[in-house]
Amino acid sequence: MNEIDCAKVRDCLPGLASGRIENHQLVTIESHLLSCEDCQSELELIQMLRAAPPVVPFLLADQIESAVTSSRRPWNRSWWGLSAAAALVALAVGVGVSRDRPEVIQDVVFDFGVDPEQGELWLSEDSFLAGDLWIEGLSNETLMKLLAELEGEGAA
Amino acid sequence: MRDSLRGAREISDAELVEQACSGDDRAFSALVRKHHASAYRVALSITRRDDIAQDVVQDAFIKAFRALGGFRGDSSFRTWMMTVTANEARATLRKRGRWNESSIEVAGPLEASAPDPAEQAVAGQESSRARAMLDTLPEKQRLAISARIDEGLSFREIATLIGSSEGAARVNYFHGIRRLRELME
Repeated sequence: MNEIDCAKVRDCLPGLASGRIENHQLVTIESHLLSCEDCQSELELIQMLRAAPPVVPFLLADQIESAVTSSRRPWNRSWWGLSAAAALVALAVGVGVSRDRPEVIQDVVFDFGVDPEQGELWLSEDSFLAGDLWIEGLSNETLMKLLAELEGEGAA
Repeated sequence: MRDSLRGAREISDAELVEQACSGDDRAFSALVRKHHASAYRVALSITRRDDIAQDVVQDAFIKAFRALGGFRGDSSFRTWMMTVTANEARATLRKRGRWNESSIEVAGPLEASAPDPAEQAVAGQESSRARAMLDTLPEKQRLAISARIDEGLSFREIATLIGSSEGAARVNYFHGIRRLRELME
């Protein structure tokens, strides 16, 4: 085979080493490898590299998720998000949300797909509505709707 | 919402991105699980330090999450995530004042890619030596080789990753392979 054939085969070697080569190509490539020491040597190098891949730390995915979650807490949110969170707390206090009416808040937030049982929402000792991560998960539009809903429930 | 993500492995990246954009944490979690290993290998290839690579990947995912709304799908999510990670790795090295094509002696020992004796016995000393030699190549060459061999990326995708043309990506890969073969002889 000529140099062009070698170039084509060398393009396919990583795929060959990882078993991603179509059957119809396989015969042609293997036949070339039988007669080409240079390509064979390159395939061996690729196989060597594949035999000792970098070890991915076992808990890395968990660490990434924690880092992303932490970065999304209210104190890391944009000015709009912080303002909205503050407004929500102030509104909750203003409309008299208290421990003896938790169902009011729960009914509203369930409509927005937020589950208070997951620890995303709670009422503090001072009857303040303490929202945390769940506020981060809401779009600006949804947050505005939630504010409007809460205001309506409080007035009722 | 919970049911829609059951069996998330079957959902395409494009769908997961769309769901993550609309605030679905589980969709983003699925993207993290699916692509963190590739991102880590890119970060390790550039930084050559396990501890730095882990920090880089975390920061890259945080930034990717914030910018997810701007992801237009011109490339696959995986290639995009790997490119974000590569940029984050380079920025981190710049901040640390290590932005150079240093030799392996300067870079210090590899923590994650250097297997322990038991692993060495399995993988073979030659394989470990090949990995160590790969680390001595210039960044673009080792990144092109790692992306092609470990991740199965096309030369077009590698071009995006190393910030070059497709032709340059091909040249970097083959020059790197040739140099590696010389080093292994």
